[in-house]
Amino acid sequence: MREVAAVGLGMHPWGKFEDKSVTELCRHAVEAALADAGAQWRDIEAVAAASSRFSGGKGWGLNGNDVVEDMGSTGVPVYNMSAGCSAGANAFNIGHMLVSSGAHDMVLVVGGEKMPKGFIQTSGVEEHTDPEFLRQRCIGMPGPAFWAVLSRRRMHDHGTTEEQMAKVAVKARKNGALNPNARYRKETNVEEVLKSALVVYPLHLFEICAVSDGAAAVVLCSAEKAKQLTTKPVWVGASAVATARFDDGITRGIGGMSPTGITHHSEAAAAVKKAMEGAGVGPKDIDFVELQDNTVYYELAFPEEFGLCEPGQSEWLLENNETIPTGKLPINPSGGFISFGEATTAQGLFQICEVGWQLRGESGERQVPNAKVGMCQTIGLGGNATAVVLKS
Amino acid sequence: MATKHAVEGLFAETANGPRLLGSRCATCSAPYFPKSPVCHNPECTESKIEDAEFGPTGKLWGFTFQVFPPPPPAKFDEPFKPYPMGFIDLDEGLRVLGQVTTDDMTKVAVDMPLELVIEHLYHDEDGNDVVTWKFKPAA
Repeated sequence: MREVAAVGLGMHPWGKFEDKSVTELCRHAVEAALADAGAQWRDIEAVAAASSRFSGGKGWGLNGNDVVEDMGSTGVPVYNMSAGCSAGANAFNIGHMLVSSGAHDMVLVVGGEKMPKGFIQTSGVEEHTDPEFLRQRCIGMPGPAFWAVLSRRRMHDHGTTEEQMAKVAVKARKNGALNPNARYRKETNVEEVLKSALVVYPLHLFEICAVSDGAAAVVLCSAEKAKQLTTKPVWVGASAVATARFDDGITRGIGGMSPTGITHHSEAAAAVKKAMEGAGVGPKDIDFVELQDNTVYYELAFPEEFGLCEPGQSEWLLENNETIPTGKLPINPSGGFISFGEATTAQGLFQICEVGWQLRGESGERQVPNAKVGMCQTIGLGGNATAVVLKS
Repeated sequence: MATKHAVEGLFAETANGPRLLGSRCATCSAPYFPKSPVCHNPECTESKIEDAEFGPTGKLWGFTFQVFPPPPPAKFDEPFKPYPMGFIDLDEGLRVLGQVTTDDMTKVAVDMPLELVIEHLYHDEDGNDVVTWKFKPAA
């Protein structure tokens, strides 16, 4: 397998853009990534794209085809990847393989999405065989309730307080305020977080990511090509994809096995393990992490489930400012989903761009000092998960 | 006005009391709710699915409160009244989702013993009493 470099990073800021189509958002990100790479559109030999359920793609998730038509139909192969919130990094995984295998020298990975307002309705079908339908009709339990139940259980297991959860949001928004691509750029405080609307106990509005519009793109190429293009390539240590295990502790429908003692997010933990092994690094080598904080709970649970710290240690790290960009374990220096909101299928790529900029030392006031190894991870509907380790 | 199940085939009032209707693999004893035609356990050597009843007792693993009217396809009586809900570990090794019936939300706690009940969920447009499975604090 060949070494692969990320030589072009491009992003359209996250937000709500009533007047722009998803194609325009993607074009902005793709043009920025190409310019960053010093490459032309016609240099791109293949495209791997995240399939959006909510915008573009001709209703079939053909979002990569939309991008190619818009940029200019060169006849390149297009791979559209569907994996819920993991789609962006899933497409990255394919793009990486297309270059590492030697099939192509330069590949574009892109994801963009415009989200409808309100809670994400995961299926929308009224069928008695659909677990999403059964959960909502028979129990009256919308999606965010899962995060809430997990959060409340953590309060029981580790003594986590509502103030500590609010502090995660405060830290996230502090980073987001320093990031021109973030949607929420105003700092907040614990009192304001706890006074924001209670969405689903114990989680408040400021502790759950909003739905956003956004797009991000990455140009990948071979080492040989990278050396011609840049003196600061970002190397792909590993890109991993995994799905959930049967004996996962969280039932994904309305009923499942009683807990077996393993992780509650087996797909995420497996992807992270695979990525670290593939990159030849351990938790101690990771200088910072961009993790999927759909809600503040994950910023406390995931570092433990990924082996980045001991169970029950997350609150201590938070309280001692060790998760800020200058701490021992910087988490989401970008501001995370809490500051960006979620353009679901583009999330994995916004993370990869952020990690890349950090490794190039271009993150300004939110820069992690001496960042050499960064990791990002996503978890999506269907038990999909990804993890990527990048190195300077 | 009749009593209707929110969805047919998921629960029943049996001679022994309320039960959830699922299935279990006789080979690996993996529980399924709703019923599954085959065993999905990758470690299982032979799928042998049998009907199984679950309940009535278990304990609350984790919980939350639904404090605003849930979006469709959820249904509820107006005016909306908040309710507790959570993951319940039944004694038979099934983790199931459900509402918890209590008038005092401050009494809901992790690990509290619960008992399966079949209770009112909403009135449909014809005035029928639509019921579902819920869990009440065990005596």
